[in-house]
Amino acid sequence: MRRVAWVVAVVGGLTALFVFGLLRGAPDRNVPSNLLNRPVPTFALPLYERYFAAFGPRLDLAEHAGRPMVINFWASWCGPCYVEAPHLEAAHRRYGDRVLFVGVQTQERDARAAGRAFIERFDFTFPNVIDDDSRVSISYGLFGVPETFFVRSDGTLAYKHVGPVDARVMTQQVEALLR
Amino acid sequence: MTPRLAAVLLAVVLAAAPAAAQDIVLDPRVFEIGRELRCPTCVAESVSESNAAIAQEMRQLIQEQLADGRDRQEILGFFQDRYGDWILLSPPRRGVLLVVWLLPIAAAIAGAFALVFWMRRWRAAAEAVAPASEEDLARVRAALARTDAAPDPTPPSPRP
Repeated sequence: MRRVAWVVAVVGGLTALFVFGLLRGAPDRNVPSNLLNRPVPTFALPLYERYFAAFGPRLDLAEHAGRPMVINFWASWCGPCYVEAPHLEAAHRRYGDRVLFVGVQTQERDARAAGRAFIERFDFTFPNVIDDDSRVSISYGLFGVPETFFVRSDGTLAYKHVGPVDARVMTQQVEALLR
Repeated sequence: MTPRLAAVLLAVVLAAAPAAAQDIVLDPRVFEIGRELRCPTCVAESVSESNAAIAQEMRQLIQEQLADGRDRQEILGFFQDRYGDWILLSPPRRGVLLVVWLLPIAAAIAGAFALVFWMRRWRAAAEAVAPASEEDLARVRAALARTDAAPDPTPPSPRP
């Protein structure tokens, strides 16, 4: 009788483990950034044409040192990027005079037309650059898109948001940068 | 082969060429190092195995770093600095991650001890057979006597 109880316990335990494995879904990408509280890498990348008048053909992050920044990574094939785009533009219109907003098109190569269409669709008034070879994406330790980095005025990372941002996240994190 | 079929085959070959081309020119050490790195956008795939855009760029980056004279440890450190320990498919043997390495060894040792313990217990149980009591012996003797007294049920075999 005791032996049967043992067998039932072991088989039950293994079955529970198997069911847990099946039900736990996709792995969690919300891994804390290794850059947290460290200076974020600077980059100089080509801009889309509509920003040439304000910034020139390239945006060099080093030239904007001393300003808090919101750096958003997106791709034209990324569904959640379409969901968060209006919130980014709204936040830029509200805080753009105090915080530098930068969009980085990444993890897609030679997709200028698609990128241009994405920017036009949401009428992004903040500068958007092209990370064609995804090197900036790698230097920021990106897991996927969208991801948004909230950078303090001293250049250190305050918070990284994985997945689409919403109005609440934007307000909360940008206000924290300005405090 | 019809011209149409030839055109389709040519299109397929040309489409596959860019992906294959990258891997052909890469140093074999790129794949050795890539096997130790997790593809950031994939599920359970290494940088060597994945065909995701980010994995291709990471392979290219490893190639460039090898060309710059960096060794395996320096290249792994480069990715670890950006992604943390998460990027390594084999967790480093330090801190809390040491548990991942030590737990299987501890489990094997515990299992061996448990096996020895149970085997000793079974052997002891087998050896510890209680001697038959006088009462039991008397019953066995009586049973044997009854068997001896009873006529043999098997008929004698006929002689040839």
